[in-house]
Amino acid sequence: MMDAGRLLLVLALAAPLAMALSVPLVARPLRLLPWAAVPGLVATLLAPGGALIELPILLLGLSLQLDRIGAVFLGFGSLLWLLAGAYARAYLARTERAGSFSVFWLLTLAGTLGTFVAADAVTFYASFSLLSLAAYGLVIHDRTTGARRAGRVYIVLAVFGEATLLAALVLAATGADSLLLADLQAALAASPWRDTALAGLLIAFGIKAGLVPLHVWLPLAHPEAPTPASAVLSGVIVKAGIIGLMRFLPMDGSVPVWGDVLIVLGLVTAYYGVVAGLVQTEAKAILAYSTLSQMGLVVTALGSGLGEPDVARALDAAALYASHEGMAKGALFLSVGIVAARDARLLRPVLAVTAVLALAIAGLPLSGGALAKLAIKAPLGEGTAALLVTLSAAGTAMLMLRFLWVLAYRGRRDADAVPAGRLVMPWTGLVLATLAVPWVLFPQLSGQPLAYAVSLGNLWAALWPILVALAAAMVALRRLRRFPLTVPPGDLVVLVEALVRRLVAGLATLFAQEAVAHRHSPKARPSDLFDAVERSLQRWPVSGPALFVVAVLLGVALGI
Amino acid sequence: MNALMPVLVLSTSLVPALVIFFLQERQQRARTVINLAGALAKLALVVVMLERVARDVHYETRLTLLPGLDLLLRVDALSLLFLTLSAFLWLLTTVYAISYLGNGPHLSRFFGFFSLCVAATTGIALAGNLITFFIFYELLTLSTWPLVVHRGDRPSIAAGGRYLAYTLAGGAVLLVGIVWLESLTGPLLFAVRGSLAGVDPATLQVIFWVLIGGLGVKTALVPLHSWLPAAMVAPAPVSALLHAVAVVKAGAFGILRIVYDVYGLELVHALSLGLPLAALASLTIIYGSFRALQQSDIKRRLAFSTVSQVSYIVLGASIHGPAATIGALAHLVHQGLMKITLFFCAGALAERLQIHKVEDLDGIGRTMPWTATAFSIGALGMIGVPPIAGFISKWYLGVGGVEAGQPWVVLVLVGSSLLNAAYFLPLVYRAWFVPASRDAAPGRERPLWLIAPAIVTAIASVAVGALAGLAFSPLGWSTLIFEHEYSR
Repeated sequence: MMDAGRLLLVLALAAPLAMALSVPLVARPLRLLPWAAVPGLVATLLAPGGALIELPILLLGLSLQLDRIGAVFLGFGSLLWLLAGAYARAYLARTERAGSFSVFWLLTLAGTLGTFVAADAVTFYASFSLLSLAAYGLVIHDRTTGARRAGRVYIVLAVFGEATLLAALVLAATGADSLLLADLQAALAASPWRDTALAGLLIAFGIKAGLVPLHVWLPLAHPEAPTPASAVLSGVIVKAGIIGLMRFLPMDGSVPVWGDVLIVLGLVTAYYGVVAGLVQTEAKAILAYSTLSQMGLVVTALGSGLGEPDVARALDAAALYASHEGMAKGALFLSVGIVAARDARLLRPVLAVTAVLALAIAGLPLSGGALAKLAIKAPLGEGTAALLVTLSAAGTAMLMLRFLWVLAYRGRRDADAVPAGRLVMPWTGLVLATLAVPWVLFPQLSGQPLAYAVSLGNLWAALWPILVALAAAMVALRRLRRFPLTVPPGDLVVLVEALVRRLVAGLATLFAQEAVAHRHSPKARPSDLFDAVERSLQRWPVSGPALFVVAVLLGVALGI
Repeated sequence: MNALMPVLVLSTSLVPALVIFFLQERQQRARTVINLAGALAKLALVVVMLERVARDVHYETRLTLLPGLDLLLRVDALSLLFLTLSAFLWLLTTVYAISYLGNGPHLSRFFGFFSLCVAATTGIALAGNLITFFIFYELLTLSTWPLVVHRGDRPSIAAGGRYLAYTLAGGAVLLVGIVWLESLTGPLLFAVRGSLAGVDPATLQVIFWVLIGGLGVKTALVPLHSWLPAAMVAPAPVSALLHAVAVVKAGAFGILRIVYDVYGLELVHALSLGLPLAALASLTIIYGSFRALQQSDIKRRLAFSTVSQVSYIVLGASIHGPAATIGALAHLVHQGLMKITLFFCAGALAERLQIHKVEDLDGIGRTMPWTATAFSIGALGMIGVPPIAGFISKWYLGVGGVEAGQPWVVLVLVGSSLLNAAYFLPLVYRAWFVPASRDAAPGRERPLWLIAPAIVTAIASVAVGALAGLAFSPLGWSTLIFEHEYSR
């Protein structure tokens, strides 16, 4: 039988699912949103660590487990979902489709938390699918043209990622003793399909985490979603890709090549995010590119950890980094909604706090970000990768300064904006959590005492990139009227969409020409060709004998 | 009792058929009562047999038609798999058909042949040797033709003619194969394996392809599938039955019997027949999905989807491995549940809102939410989204393929999933995320009898996937079949 602690873990997933089913019956569904994440938060604090919960009758054997990494993700994820839910309750109070938003929110929540606590491949896949498909509803909520386009790009990549993940998991599962993640991870290193499976996993999780060049959906989808949804999309949902990498990649040093691949991809993404983000003109788009960049850094840390003997340290550090970045990014997105109201009393204090948080992501000394950056320095070692990561902090700081500038001076006053007063409480809670929680987690996750974090050397190491960025920002403000280059959000996807449009138009013309040549109806389509073939097959009233002859010939041929 | 049970099960659909033929058109209540009574009786008997057969009890009825030619009805685990599906779905389709056809003409004729069709399917499920199988197989053809041409208009008659041409030809080829085989080996029982030992391998290969060719018509293997999209002119209950339960499944079931019980998996692979069959199935899977993409009529799109999905069963049967076998057996049930959900919904949409084309689906999430939800569940299941049933089959087929050293199976499955997404997701999108283009008052879903069967099968599709670990789930039963019968 299940004791209370284990029951909590099951409840963390069951509660949001049950609430999602009950939305049509509830008068004000938005009120459910904050409560849905409470069981997850309670489970983090009270559920026993490490114990495996198995429900063999569900799916192909549902297993849940709360290990240290899972607990970090579950904790910060639940917290962010809770506070963003409270924010959403006020922010979307006037929306038409409150029920639809609530259903998709709750389903995405269940899926995301599921990926954090899943202990076997099928449960993980089911949660991952749920989260990917339900998040579509969040992206497309506003039903504007931009949102629909973002949704289209998102769903194409999401479905492709799902299919790839299924193939990779099937390959990995064959040859493993059971479907448990630990067994899969161990068996993968020795499997004959190792490289194919790893490539598939990298593609699937890379799409979710936003690794270049699979990132194109992220800068489109995150700005188009309503603000609280953007907060959880950037803050928590992309982390599902990160935890996927952590759970499946062999962590015993047997695949150093893949470690290098991850490092390269991560660094490329980190710098690409900074460069593409700097030329954006919308605050939420800049934040989206910043998420890209930060996830690149996390992936770099994971990649460098793959070849190390002390992998657990690298995983813990990456978890700390991801959790701080998630909470800070969530708070930044929420602040965009508050600033949009241009409330006279709140504007300046909120902007000031936002500035602190933004620079915290860049590693402002004494902030959680500085602690996180310090933690990931250890697995990175001393080489080129470490240097590039350190330099990227300056880039991140520049990006954050650009964000602050756009937020403060370029933000339009939104006439329909929700009064900031009701949004401030949840936002404040999130800010406090972002500032405080890393201090609590740091000793356990980095293995260093807090004194190490506040030593002068480390304080200076955190400070100088920010000073560099400030200097660059001053120069830019003085010299540049406007940026010489604008890149639309989604960058590469614009090229792809243009290509696809040309291709489809070309095919249509091609078949239309053939149709004219064959005197078909003016609106001939490729299917008419097939129809004609099938009709000719049907003209023989009995194609059975035809097949009989073919079958005999085939049989004879194969027998020879 | 053991000898009586198969006859009893058969008669629960045969007797209502005979009675209904003699009912007057206006005796609607009597007709409904007899239909439902027969369906419930069959379901009850199936439940009883499930429990017994799980404990390895076997039922058998033998009737000698001619010396050396027995009509053999036998209940084993595999026949129960098919029988359970038929019984459960027959009950729901009866409710649906009663509601759909309402007060239309020729209802006694319709329900008479309806019950006869189910009786034929039961006979196919219970057949213990090839001759019995063939007899009921042809009976199925003859009893489904009147259903296809029920409306009596020109397109229906034409479709019916095409259907008859294909299926009778296929039946003739099947008979040739059966007679050829049994002339070499003597009467073949499904329960007895190893009877083909003495026959020349080359001859066995040819006979195999003849049998597959004959069965392939009903199974809608490419290039013998064209009758299926054409038969969509039939009323929705008929399409539902044809696609999920009766005709297409009978063909697939026949192929399973040939591969597992007549030849045996080892012999099939010793004769190098597995790989070509798998290739043919894969071709059908991909071709069916491509053609589905091109259809703008909803029922035609679903028809090509059936062509594609039923070949998963054939693919699984042709791969030599436990997981693939279990996946193929489970998919027999899973595909039936999901596909019938889709057809029930398509029929309801056509009946209540006159929706036949994909373009007309805009906004039905608002006007007919229950139907749209059931449809979405069926569509997502086809794509392979857990926890709906389709995912379970795909997982087992994929793992089975890799285990058997045929990793390209995974590629076929992934490609098929992507194609399924390409032609199903736009329908779901239109239903929920696009505002309705027409003004349709809500309340279109009353009376609920037309929608309820779809809801039940949608819930069943989710349940058999989410609770796949239960011993009596389709997956559990398929594992039992494999362990009892085929793991030597």
